[in-house]
Amino acid sequence: MPVPQRIVHEVNAVEFGEATRYRQRRLVVGSDEVAAAFADAALAAVRPHLASPAERVRIVKPLDVVEPRSRGPEGGTFPGWLAPINRSRGGQTHVLRGAAVLAAGYLPRNQEGLVDMSGPAADLSPFSRTHNIVVEFDPAEDASWADVDAAVRRGLLRLAVHLADAAVDAEPDAVEDLAQPHRAVDPTGGLPRVGAITNLQTQGAFKDVFVYGRSMAGSLPTLIDPAEVDDGAVVSGQYGHPALRNPTYVHQNHPVVAALRARDGDDLRFAGLVLCPEPVEQAGKELMSEHAAWLCRAAGFDAVIVTKEGAGNADNDLALKVDALEAAGVPAVPLYPELSGPDGTGPPLVAGPRRGSLVSTGNYDQRVSLPAVERALGGPRLDVADVEATAAVEVPVATILGALSPLGAGRFTCRSTPPQEEPVQEGAA
Amino acid sequence: MMRVVHYINQFYAGLGGEEAAGLSPRLLDGPAGPGRLLDQLLGDEHEVVATVVCGDNHAAGTAGVTEELLGMVREAGAELLLTGPAFGSGRYGMACARLAAAGTTAGLPSLAAMHPDNPGIGEAGTAPVIAAGASARKMRASLQRVAPALAKLAAGQALTEQDGRVGRSARLGRLVEHTAAQRAVELVLRRLAGEDADAVTEIPLGGFDSVEPAAPVEKVGAASVALLTEGALVPAGNPDRLESARATRWLRYSVDGLDTLADGDWESVDGGFATTAANADPNRLVPLDAARALQRDGAVGGLHDELLVTVGNGTSVVTARRFGVEWAARLRAAGVQAAILTAT
Repeated sequence: MPVPQRIVHEVNAVEFGEATRYRQRRLVVGSDEVAAAFADAALAAVRPHLASPAERVRIVKPLDVVEPRSRGPEGGTFPGWLAPINRSRGGQTHVLRGAAVLAAGYLPRNQEGLVDMSGPAADLSPFSRTHNIVVEFDPAEDASWADVDAAVRRGLLRLAVHLADAAVDAEPDAVEDLAQPHRAVDPTGGLPRVGAITNLQTQGAFKDVFVYGRSMAGSLPTLIDPAEVDDGAVVSGQYGHPALRNPTYVHQNHPVVAALRARDGDDLRFAGLVLCPEPVEQAGKELMSEHAAWLCRAAGFDAVIVTKEGAGNADNDLALKVDALEAAGVPAVPLYPELSGPDGTGPPLVAGPRRGSLVSTGNYDQRVSLPAVERALGGPRLDVADVEATAAVEVPVATILGALSPLGAGRFTCRSTPPQEEPVQEGAA
Repeated sequence: MMRVVHYINQFYAGLGGEEAAGLSPRLLDGPAGPGRLLDQLLGDEHEVVATVVCGDNHAAGTAGVTEELLGMVREAGAELLLTGPAFGSGRYGMACARLAAAGTTAGLPSLAAMHPDNPGIGEAGTAPVIAAGASARKMRASLQRVAPALAKLAAGQALTEQDGRVGRSARLGRLVEHTAAQRAVELVLRRLAGEDADAVTEIPLGGFDSVEPAAPVEKVGAASVALLTEGALVPAGNPDRLESARATRWLRYSVDGLDTLADGDWESVDGGFATTAANADPNRLVPLDAARALQRDGAVGGLHDELLVTVGNGTSVVTARRFGVEWAARLRAAGVQAAILTAT
């Protein structure tokens, strides 16, 4: 089977036009085609907008974010949603790098966040660096919120594929080979085999993550072909703490898998990817942790990087998993955000492993002052701060979408400063 | 020579124990209680000119009390302020930390003394905190550390760990060159090369609290019991606008005369769990109906007439500790012996 490849088409500008096309790094989005992608009995109307890096634009109430990708006429992107599952992988996936489709608006249980396309918050969100097609929506009368949510998700996935279809015949900017996991029986040339465990938030409607179109809730940990994840086997319907979400876009570009692939053959061998749900009850958390540790050993992992999604509850999943892996002799490095209070002097974790090497993705409570913006998308108000959506506002990092990326996409972190130095209140980001 | 004003609680001032915890602020001439030993240790360099006293419940649970206490400190002509040592006592520690923080902010050189695990320590802001022992048995040793620190503060010098300064170091955010995922790979490789787990971590572990359970209530049938929740149950419409996450405050609502929490009258605004079931029957979040039944049967002596409410979702440990101390002060002041705290 050929090595899977990403065929990369850079996007430097987006605009609306009559028909969707892609030429010379410019993406034209056909307005009517957006409406067609979102056609659903649960939606009365959709309104597409554009938000590009450096613009004085704020997106409030962001929901999921998806990177435009297409496997061309043969299809196969978003298996379980728009394509059959478990096709044999390999072959080529076209990527519109630098573009994203994003839904914004009210849904129940969506903990409200924001994306600023410029200013201090733009350094913290991965979606301040993409040219975004932002879709606002009106629910149909009598539609249930669950149906509205599903319709928005299907619309985002369809639009993402439709946009990337426009680039299939274009000359690529880059072709990336995607290293596949080495099997446990493959010789490693003396290099350690390092894998990843990705915990997925599974707390019911509006806080759920889908694998092959199904909720991961109730599943046991499983190995999955990372090429399938590249093609959208993992889709997010999880609208908890904005900074602590892993939108679909981040799964498509799985940062831990990318970091392991980048070192594959140099100082390690990429050993594989395990997906695992985050159950809400303790017995379930213990079962998942023990089983995931067993699975990693059975698959021959010498060490593993473990990630989560969500806040305190999910910290326990991470802690138990690290404890189980370390007890089994498999070094495990977890990625943790910190909750050390606005001045950073509080205890950073609510639950941590007994021992371990932790990576910090930054402080949830640190305040950031955002300047006023010219226009806002997603709604007229930033309800979480009780201000007009365009207003200058001080927010905790917690409200900035993806700012503490639990899957490791961000460059934000924390370091200790001795107590005799004055704590810095803000602006350090 | 500088004029030192010393803040202590009712117990160390000799004005009473728990029964006097509601004592309002008062100003005493010269040193009192541990202030006498402090005055000796300071020698001729500095003098304890006055002592400000307040009951623990009053100091931890009354709005505006810190400003009132600082006003008294000023009135006594303070050039230096010492609060404590509060040892491990939560309410006392919080009052000491807050007053020292307010003094520092107002430009008065201020110092708090308490055990490093005192839950109040997070309230000290930028005021220096000097380590004291866990209990009053360590009074002399603690003051022997405090006196030279106070002298150093008087000289305008910064206090460091060598002076016994404690408090968590601040965790400050910054952007770095590599993503968290790339850094994780580096840590994995260092672990595989044999480095110890604790040596290669970006977040130091340890320092987790363990809470010692209180002694069992002796006569439940005679006890007053309070209902508390961090599940954000508030009157419908959320009139006081409790946050759905990252609480900065807590609220209290009367349940006097209520037999049940009727659906439609109450709602949970917690952003961290599915509230549908709780809103359909608020008694399942805060069991007022069951508690009233126990009261009628004589299984509990009485129900406290206030429900204390906050939201736990995303609330930092520092803030949660503060709420705990404030709730304990309020409940003790009301003569409550036990509480049921429901979480989500």
